[in-house]
This record gives sequence, C-alpha cells and structure tokens, in this order.
Amino acid sequence: MLSRTVLRDAFHAAVPIMLGYVAIGIPCGILCDSIGLNAIQVLILSAFFYSGAGQFMIPNMFLTGAPTASIIASVSLVNTRQMLYSASLAPECEGARKRLAFLFAATVTDESYGVSIARFKEGGWSVDRALWVNLFSQTSWALSNVVGVLVGSLIDIPLQIASFAMTSIFICLLFTQRLTSPNIIAAVFAIIGVYACKALGLSGAAIILGAVLGVVCAMAFTLIRQKVRP
Amino acid sequence: MSWEEFWIIFGCCAVTMLICRVAPLFLLKGRELPSTVTLALNLIPPAAFAALVANDVLNPGMFAQGFWPAGAIIIASLVVVAVALKTKSLLLCAVSGVVAYGLLLLV
Repeated sequence: MLSRTVLRDAFHAAVPIMLGYVAIGIPCGILCDSIGLNAIQVLILSAFFYSGAGQFMIPNMFLTGAPTASIIASVSLVNTRQMLYSASLAPECEGARKRLAFLFAATVTDESYGVSIARFKEGGWSVDRALWVNLFSQTSWALSNVVGVLVGSLIDIPLQIASFAMTSIFICLLFTQRLTSPNIIAAVFAIIGVYACKALGLSGAAIILGAVLGVVCAMAFTLIRQKVRP
Repeated sequence: MSWEEFWIIFGCCAVTMLICRVAPLFLLKGRELPSTVTLALNLIPPAAFAALVANDVLNPGMFAQGFWPAGAIIIASLVVVAVALKTKSLLLCAVSGVVAYGLLLLV
C-alpha cells in the first residue's frame, strides 16, 4: 500500500536527480523542437522511452541527416548498458510482486539506478520506494522536456555546464562505494575500457564495454586471490 | 520529423529499451544464483559509475590544444570528489559541480 513514508523517502532521494533533469530536460526539449517534434511527441518519448542519452541522440542524429535505421541502431546500442543495471537489481527485487518489479525495472535510468542501488546496499530501502524515485525523476524529465518545447529558445541554458550536474552525481556515487580492492580494480579498468573504446572509435558502446571490462578484471582478481589464499 | 518517422524511431527504440531494462531482471529474479554471478552483480555499481564518469570527463585528444580549457572539467571533477568524500550528498555534489565547472570555464 502507498504510504506517506514511502513517498517522502522516495522524494528525498529523488530531489538531486529531479533538479538535474530540469537542467538538461529543458535543453533536450528545445533540441526536439528544432527538428519539429511537438509537445505531445516529446511527452510520448519521455513517458514510454525515457532515456536522456537517447532523447538527445535522436534529434542530433536526425539533424545530421542520419537514416532512420542508423538512428535506431545507435540509440539502442547506447542503451544496452541498461542490461547491467537490470541484472544488478535482480537480487533486490527478490520477493517483489511481478507488476511492481516490472514497473520499477521499466523506468530505471543511470541516475535512478545509482541512487536506488546505493540505498539498497545501505539497507532499509524497498522496491516501491525505488519505483517512486523513478516516477518522480521521470515526471521531472517529462515536464522539463515539454517546457523546453513550449518556451523554445526563450531560455538559454548552457548545456555543457548543466549536464555536469549528472556527471557530479555519478562521481558522488562512485566515491561513496566501499573502498575494497575488487571495487577499485573494477572502477580503474572500467575507466581504461571507456577511454580505449573512445580511442578506437567505439563511443556508442564505450560505457557498457568499459563497465564489463571492469567487472571481468575485478572478478578475475577475486577468483585468483581466492585460489592463492583459500 | 514526420509523424511516420517519429512512430518508427520511437517504437523501435522504446521496444529495445524495454527489453534491456526488464529482461535481465526477470531472467535472474527468483533463481538461486551461483556465487560467481553474485560476485559479478556486486561489481556492476563501481564499474558502471566509473564508466559513466569516464565517458563524461575523458576524451582522447582532449588536451591536444594544451591543458586549458579541457582541464576545467578535470579540476571541477576533483572538486566534486572532495565534496563527495566530505559530505556523501548527491545534491551538494551536483550543485558544487555545476558552480565549480561554470566558474572554471569563465577563467
């Protein structure tokens, strides 16, 4: 049942994401407006697709004249990283009702994953709270996008600076991880992996390939250490 | 963009996104997971956050024109690291990050 405590906890956790989404959602709406998308289309995208990276990529690629199939393939490739979050959240959804787990999983973003997984690990967090974090964030994203479409270029938000709010959130989530050797190895090799992918021209898959490299290296380290010191 | 193009792009992207978001969770949920899988799942957060940060901050050739202005994002990131270690607050990190980066870009 929906309780006030659940909503309050979720809202408290979602505030940083909501503010960040206002800062980048408005420029995203402005960009969508520039390729002729209207408020309803932007609302549909935000409600059923809901991807910051994807919703920036679609208009950007469309403006460069990219073919439809290429836009779909590139956006889908970038979003494959969601598979990692989904897998990582599976143990936390143990015992949750199917419909709740589905709604939660279907509305996870980079930022809301980070906020919820951190709280799940701390304890005292629940799937319904995590779902509400997603919904509060999504509402902020959708409304900001619509505002961007409606007011267009009346508001001038420097996107480069605004999007650093998201980077800052990821930095905070990274540096509040437990400082264990496997975690450090996972992070270092993920960074190396992302850099290497970009250098090789694989920018679209850089996040997922880098993260997988980090996980694989840290697993190898842990398994070898268990063999050496059983 | 026409409505037709919109529906095709939206429909395909929304379907692949939904599969990526939902399928792994339901494939693993309710199963007895081997210890190696649990180990891998626990390593996803640090690896994913590091990858997201690296993706935003690092670019090959970013210092081709010298340390500045590309160095602004590195210094702003270090400011956020300090705030994160000190406060563990996402909100303070987001605000201090934007302010630091904005000020550094004025330099």
